[in-house]
Amino acid sequence: MRKLIMVGMVLLLAVFTATASLAGGTIKLAVMEPLSGTFKDIGDRYLEGVQYAAQVLNEQGGINGMQVEVIPVDSELKPAIATRKATKLMIKEGVKYFCGGTGSSVGGAMVALTGKKGGLFYTYGMAAASMTGAKCSKTFFRACANTDTQSYALANWVASQGFTKVFTVAQDYSFGQQATEAFIKKLKELNPKAEIVGKVLHPIGTKDFAPYVSQIINSGAEVVFTSNWGSDLTLLLKQAKPLGLKAKFACYYLNDENAITAVANDEAVVGSVAAEVYMITIPGEANKKFVEGFKKAKGYYPTWLRGKAYLATMFWAEAVKKAGSAKVSDVIKAWEGLTYDGPAGKWVMRACDHQTQQPIWIAPVVAKSPYFKHAYVGEAGMVPASKVDVPCAQTGCKGLAK
Amino acid sequence: MSEIAVFFLHGLAYAGLLFLVSSGLTLVFGMMNVLNFAHASFYMLGAYFALSLLHITGNFWLALIISPLLLMALGMVIERFLLRKVHVLGHVHELLLTFGIAYILHEGVKWIWGTSPQAMAVTGILADTVSLMGITYPVYRLFIFAVSVILGLLMALVLFKTRIGITVRAAVDDSAMVGALGINVPRLFMGVFAVGAALSGLAGVTAGPLLSVFPGMAESILIDAFVVIVVGGMGSLGGAVLASFIIGQLQSFGVILFPEFSLALIYMLMALVLVVKPEGLFGEKQ
Repeated sequence: MRKLIMVGMVLLLAVFTATASLAGGTIKLAVMEPLSGTFKDIGDRYLEGVQYAAQVLNEQGGINGMQVEVIPVDSELKPAIATRKATKLMIKEGVKYFCGGTGSSVGGAMVALTGKKGGLFYTYGMAAASMTGAKCSKTFFRACANTDTQSYALANWVASQGFTKVFTVAQDYSFGQQATEAFIKKLKELNPKAEIVGKVLHPIGTKDFAPYVSQIINSGAEVVFTSNWGSDLTLLLKQAKPLGLKAKFACYYLNDENAITAVANDEAVVGSVAAEVYMITIPGEANKKFVEGFKKAKGYYPTWLRGKAYLATMFWAEAVKKAGSAKVSDVIKAWEGLTYDGPAGKWVMRACDHQTQQPIWIAPVVAKSPYFKHAYVGEAGMVPASKVDVPCAQTGCKGLAK
Repeated sequence: MSEIAVFFLHGLAYAGLLFLVSSGLTLVFGMMNVLNFAHASFYMLGAYFALSLLHITGNFWLALIISPLLLMALGMVIERFLLRKVHVLGHVHELLLTFGIAYILHEGVKWIWGTSPQAMAVTGILADTVSLMGITYPVYRLFIFAVSVILGLLMALVLFKTRIGITVRAAVDDSAMVGALGINVPRLFMGVFAVGAALSGLAGVTAGPLLSVFPGMAESILIDAFVVIVVGGMGSLGGAVLASFIIGQLQSFGVILFPEFSLALIYMLMALVLVVKPEGLFGEKQ
């Protein structure tokens, strides 16, 4: 019996390798995400987006005839563990392409690894501006917004609404500080009359927001900027409403249906806005087709993280296509300056820092959504790439192609 | 003036929550000398039980009663079949055991309910707001404070004025003597542990609608609960009340008075207390 199974397995293996070689080989893409632990639900959704991209590409006959094989890797959100697993994949399976969206620390370690061992890492979610700034690297590409561009987009919205009394709330660590700084800088530039009536940096994982909310109310703010994520976003919104806060929020991450369900009070979110490079409510045929296709294949919608991971992976595939080979150096060269016209508008990979120049979409939360039973973001409006752009000379990135 | 009153109210509501969370922990430590690391996991489980009960029955009051009862049963089982067995081996083993239980419960919660944050909404009067001194204030925050006051009074009444309370306190001082008087001391301790678990469950249900229900909620509250019982004095009920009150107000006013220290305020308080009075405000010298 055991022999028979062995023979069967060998046969199966033979068949697989045969079909693979017939199709011109495979290109392996390892997805480094927290697939266990507290942030599993973030990692899972990113992975679903990458997997759907691979499915679409493979149905089209692969990239240059190569089938895309997605390898999920549990990064456990620990740089040391992520790089150990990645090194093993590089040596044992010859994996050269890696992506991930959670944890800039994991990202930094992966960039160092790919730089040293010859690979490529791209992100669809890591927002630390420094990754394409002072710490930029030949082997790292970012296909999402960073703290500068996302804050600039929200500053654009706040300025366009004519708000002059603005309050900022952010988590007290590098990300929150950078987001706040960028927002204030851009707002002052766009509307010198705007006044920051209060600025809060609070510990991550704050449970009681009441004192902060009272501060906002007393300041007379018309709008509140926040880059908060996770429970710091949901608790802030959830507790603000019953305390009588009327001002709306301009948020980084309100585009997340899980956050809105956790707030559990539609009234507390309706009217506030979210900013992202992808939302399912982006108008246009291309996005409509993508959303429908995704829903049909997976049974749920490509909201937020899923959409971002999908788009970034399609962008990467375009680069491989253009390179005409799976060699990392060719793909790097091909990706620099490449344009991808997808469901979220025109994306251009800038050569000077490997930061995608892309429009950022802003949408208010509306009470009735065709996608969910609860409130969700309504139709998105575009802030063009030129309005959120950080000039090459100001990114702090040195040593990449001119 | 009314502004100060508002911040005072915020502090009271948060103090209420802190007391609810730490009362079970300090009870079990004071009466059994067991530092229960699984305490916060009981709290989380209480919130998740309430969440499911709320989905089934749609009645928050029912969840408020049933969830602590479920935790009480769980507490009994854990004490009877696990904790009692390692009790003879000493504190380190007890600590390790409760640590292990915390891990198991944590993984179990993620396995059953998933990792995404869950909504827990109250309806009716609890979801309402009232006008107090010209400002709107959510009823739920007042409710939390009220629950904590009632619970505190009830605990004091039982411990200091009833026969059961006297027996328990006697058993803490000299369990052999109390046993010799014909009282089943192990069963008494099982009861204490179960009540401790029920109290954490109650805290979980109460916190659910104010804070989100998610797997990280246990860790995020555990540190606060420990700070409360260290500041108040390990095992002292009165100490827990006072420490909760101080920390609640400190958090609330600290935000306006010393915003740059908001991260460190409660730890600074704890350090100060440990330097000046190492046994805690109401603690007994060991």
